[in-house]
Amino acid sequence: MDTTMKTTPLYPWHVGRNAHMAAFGGYEMPLWYPSGAKAEHLAAITAAGLFDTSHMAVLTLHGPAVRTLLQSCFSKDLEQCIGPKKGPIVPGRCVYGVFLDAQGQVIDDAIVYQCSDADYMLVVNASMGGPVVAHLRQHNHGEAGAVIRDHTGQVGKMDVQGPAAARILSHVLRDPAQVFAQMVYFSFKGTFDPHLLPAAPVTLLDGTPIMVSRTGYTGEFGFELFVAPAQIESLWNLLLAAGEPEGILTCGLAARDSLRAGAGLPLSHQDIGPWLFACNPWLFVLPWNEGGDDFSKEFIGGPALRAAKDVPCTQAYAGFDPRKITLSDNSRVIAADGTPLGTILTCTTDMAIDRVGGAIVSIATPPEHGRPQPFAPRGLCCGFVRLDHPLPPGTEVRLTDGKRTLTVEIRDQVRPDRTARKPMSTML
Amino acid sequence: MKELEELNLPDDIRYTGDHEWAKITDDTVRIGVSDYAQDQMGDIVFVEMPAIGDRFAKGDQFGTLESVKAVSEIYMPMSGTVIAVNTTLTDAPELINQDPYEAWIIEITPADPSEYDQLLPAAAYLDLLKG
Repeated sequence: MDTTMKTTPLYPWHVGRNAHMAAFGGYEMPLWYPSGAKAEHLAAITAAGLFDTSHMAVLTLHGPAVRTLLQSCFSKDLEQCIGPKKGPIVPGRCVYGVFLDAQGQVIDDAIVYQCSDADYMLVVNASMGGPVVAHLRQHNHGEAGAVIRDHTGQVGKMDVQGPAAARILSHVLRDPAQVFAQMVYFSFKGTFDPHLLPAAPVTLLDGTPIMVSRTGYTGEFGFELFVAPAQIESLWNLLLAAGEPEGILTCGLAARDSLRAGAGLPLSHQDIGPWLFACNPWLFVLPWNEGGDDFSKEFIGGPALRAAKDVPCTQAYAGFDPRKITLSDNSRVIAADGTPLGTILTCTTDMAIDRVGGAIVSIATPPEHGRPQPFAPRGLCCGFVRLDHPLPPGTEVRLTDGKRTLTVEIRDQVRPDRTARKPMSTML
Repeated sequence: MKELEELNLPDDIRYTGDHEWAKITDDTVRIGVSDYAQDQMGDIVFVEMPAIGDRFAKGDQFGTLESVKAVSEIYMPMSGTVIAVNTTLTDAPELINQDPYEAWIIEITPADPSEYDQLLPAAAYLDLLKG
């Protein structure tokens, strides 16, 4: 391993379990464990998957100037972003969005958490703490500005995702009923450091402070957990022991990538990045006004987006079998007659789905909605393409690398029957 | 992932630098991929095989192995004509991960049996893996 590679505290655990390791975002991470990427992908959908995500960067912002700073830099209008009635973000709620530059291009995507009136937390991607902090500092106004802190490498994080996640977590929390009460999607409770981020405490059975966030990167029900780094291994082992009867598996980055692709979630610097954020499946992160025809606030990148015309369009697709195209300088999207249509951003296989009479069915689809019994899905290739001109869902295009050509279908949704938004009461 | 010492590399067959193996018996050669290949690829989820009757030269691509994350091309260790493909791999591609030497992929009539002697014996293949 290159000695400039960073590692998370669980690195020795992964290596000790013979995980297949690879570099990602400057970190040496597990791609899969001996269980294999297929079993790990399926576990997160049918039972639970446990992911080491301590490579992600946690930033905190403090002071009365934070709200204004975030309003200017973050894509969501924090005053109009919660729920169908578009209320303001309040302590205990979090929102997903992007940081754009002045050209309307994505610097990174992030989740913003409001912890108290004047304390916020941001979670950004591996190795992005520095660039996002630099961007915020550039727009922060001197002495009256927000206090911005980069906690990269100083916060332990792991994700537990899958229908059994709350049941498993309930065995390690001191007061699970209190934690799960009214815990809606994109809300959180507790803090991993009460001095840094004050909040009503949530603790493990031994009193260790923990932040429990009902968020994730799989499209499935579950949580992102934040603890002090010294507690990571202990929490990891507690969750594995508690989850064993439910069939929990540790999951590497291969399953993480195939799960998020099937769930329609972008990978920063691959599906979103240094191009205009103007036509893609994630425009809901922009601060639309009530009419949906302009923005409700001024923000960095806003003017560039307003001026955007005839831009390439990022769209999701799914194929008809597990085969993929390896991305390279030769890979591209073409029409049936060979006309170039665009580029391929992501191409992976969602192992939980297959075609039944042309429709996409998941192992999680109820039998009455079309899942045959028995059902052993072979998996379908899926991901994102960036097309010169948008195409209606249902349109078939071809992906090619010059040697192999696959037919795929442009889709609004890929993997059906995802569990992320299920009411908490049904998951306990 | 397996350490090199943990790899299963039978010494009654031969190997290529691209991690295929070949086993010659009388007039035919069976071809598959090595334990190193299946371990590096991870879960194999789809196998593309040629048709019976297809002819390939040594080094030609004859199929692909699809894992969750990637696509791997597989190449002929020897020249020949395909006389059988392992159809059990259509419904159970994971057999290659479970036993890469039992789960042969194609069987050929070799065009030039002496090409077998140019392939790597197990010890030489292991040396190659050690770099």
